[in-house]
Amino acid sequence: MNGPFNSGKPVVPEPSPQSAGASPRARKPKEPLPFGKTKQAREAEKVLNHIVDDFDDNPKAMDYFYDLFRRVYCRGETIAPDGPLIGTTCIQAPEELIYAMGATPVRLCNGSYHYDQIGAEFMPSKSCSLVKATLGMLTSDDPVPRVGKLDLVVNPTTCDQKKKASAMMQDMGHAVFDLELPNVKESEASRVYWQRSVRSFAEEIRKVTGKKLTRKNLKAALARTQRAEKAFRVLDGFRKASPSIFLGKDAFLVVNAYFFDNLDNWCEAVERLNDELKIRYDNAVRAAQKKAPRIVFTGSPPIFPNLKLPLLIERAGGVVVSDETCSANRMLYDMTAVDEWLVNDMVDSLADKYLKPCTCPIFTKNDDRRRRLLELVKKFEADGIVYQAFAGCQVYEMEQRSVAKTLDENGIPMLYVETDYSPDDEGQLSTRIEAFLESIKTRKRMRQ
Amino acid sequence: MNYFAGLDIGSTAIKVVFVDENGRLAGEHVTPTGSLFYKNAKEAFETLLTKMALQREQVRYLIATGYGRKLFKDADDSISEITANGIGAHEAGKAFGGVGTIINIGGQDSKAIRIDSHGGVTNFVMNDKCAAGTGRFLDVAARNLEIGLEELGDYHFKAVAGPLDINSTCTVFAESEIIGLLANGHGKGEIISGIHNSIARRTVRLAKKVGLDERVYFDGGPALNKGLAAAIEDELGREVVVPEHPQTTTAFGAAILARSEFLAESAERRAEKVELQAQAALAEAAKSASCGPQCGSGACGAHAG
Repeated sequence: MNGPFNSGKPVVPEPSPQSAGASPRARKPKEPLPFGKTKQAREAEKVLNHIVDDFDDNPKAMDYFYDLFRRVYCRGETIAPDGPLIGTTCIQAPEELIYAMGATPVRLCNGSYHYDQIGAEFMPSKSCSLVKATLGMLTSDDPVPRVGKLDLVVNPTTCDQKKKASAMMQDMGHAVFDLELPNVKESEASRVYWQRSVRSFAEEIRKVTGKKLTRKNLKAALARTQRAEKAFRVLDGFRKASPSIFLGKDAFLVVNAYFFDNLDNWCEAVERLNDELKIRYDNAVRAAQKKAPRIVFTGSPPIFPNLKLPLLIERAGGVVVSDETCSANRMLYDMTAVDEWLVNDMVDSLADKYLKPCTCPIFTKNDDRRRRLLELVKKFEADGIVYQAFAGCQVYEMEQRSVAKTLDENGIPMLYVETDYSPDDEGQLSTRIEAFLESIKTRKRMRQ
Repeated sequence: MNYFAGLDIGSTAIKVVFVDENGRLAGEHVTPTGSLFYKNAKEAFETLLTKMALQREQVRYLIATGYGRKLFKDADDSISEITANGIGAHEAGKAFGGVGTIINIGGQDSKAIRIDSHGGVTNFVMNDKCAAGTGRFLDVAARNLEIGLEELGDYHFKAVAGPLDINSTCTVFAESEIIGLLANGHGKGEIISGIHNSIARRTVRLAKKVGLDERVYFDGGPALNKGLAAAIEDELGREVVVPEHPQTTTAFGAAILARSEFLAESAERRAEKVELQAQAALAEAAKSASCGPQCGSGACGAHAG
């Protein structure tokens, strides 16, 4: 149960091949940089500055989140967990169970180009940035922001890369629990299989915390997460406003904060934000131009600091009004529907909530995703869809075809972008995004 | 006479186009981008002014496009090269009976664009990150073969044996492959037609993603290369039209847009003026209606007669 982050072992720089024998003088071991000067802190700082400074009149209540990211990502502060800390590598791990048994979940999925580069040192070159960055972070000797000592990592068996990451994380010294997720969503057999997996996950948490899952503590945990889900839904509702009163870059940041923030603090901050947005809505305070193209974002998840694509869209005059990604909307939109408030029934309902509405492309068939996208376009009066696929994320790359076909049949324009965490395609991407937004505007003008 | 300008600042060349009040091509100028592209773009614009003996004021609206569009602050507006290319090809394509699919090969990227019957972009794809199969690729190949870029087209048709296979699409690896073929005694014609076929395959794959119209419009600097155009036509199996000025289609599109923006803005200004006049008249009427018989001066004309 010993993560590499807390061991307090001195960082011993490995001799690099160039220095071996080249310099007769003994080198002084390098002083570790203060966190704020490290590459990952500077990367985060740069993106945060864009998020905050490139836009006028951000909601005041967003300051909580800007500040939170500055503290954690730029200064390396950790958010103290209640009880043991359980890392999750996917939204499919039921966090309610973790809270119920007195532990704190932290989502490990990482969006940093710095850690992507570290992961690239030992991962196949064609693997996806998200997996590379997450493993890069878990292996790194650097101080790791927001992740303290991990008592357990729960790894839902989703795509191949995440499945294989399990053994790699174990080799790094982490205790890993494979949460077995079926490949098919529709069948009754897979539903039963998944419910059993979730129960054994509960058993695994009990081993870490020493606490039993009871009707009472699970009900209390559900109440806490449902408060978050409710706050999220209210926030989501404000994004229907046209002209927009809230930008997608802030929406992504808010939900990204849910990965690691204290649950109750997060809820309070979002409720404050909702209060402010209500006032802004009543006073018709706009966050974008009236004719700004309204975009639904789908595909590989934008995770701070990799908000490259949403930021490019909004800097070019579009607005991301909604999304279908596992780093935002998919995380908090669905609520648990409990039939019987008995512990076993509650666990089963919880399992259903995680399996049934999931629109992840790892499942063999995924008609729900296309339905969901059409629903979002309608509900948020969107003009088009931007589809991000991380290079190497095969399932999103493959599903592009069927999604494009459905959208085409419904007359909804889509821009498909294959990219990764590196900033070197920003120039080219901004041209593509601008052209896409311009074509939407032309289309709208023609219709009038 | 008023003119409208499109300025396309590409990675390799700067293209300036003026259109007249009727939206017809009035003049064009092409110059290498170089490293000081702002200075060079400004110079290119001024060169065309001089060439056409125009005053700066006669160019009423300027739209910049291409990768340097944002940094050229003298422009009235900027637009992405994809939208501009669509408009330009739509207009230039009328001479060929209208076009719906555009293949554009530039200095460091290649694109396929699908447009509707108004020239509006409905779909487009671009090559990712890498400069394989772009103008730069041809540039490097010509240098390896020690011939001029403009000679490539002629050599294409001189191939006696069939075109050779060039397997690398990477500009750097293809370079060594070409050198290897030369060393093995292969003729330049065969190598060049092989290069053209390899670019054509890549480009057509891109075009198929947006959908092919019966006529495909091919523009960008490399479209000047007749051999490459022929190779793309073979690969597509349908007609490829290359306009008279393939390199300036995008700048032409920007110039057309500059004209319509100018017209729209003046229409708006006229409407505002009419509105203002109407408001002034209303205010005047209200004033005179409110003045009572105690005035009697008649100075305002309300009581005249």
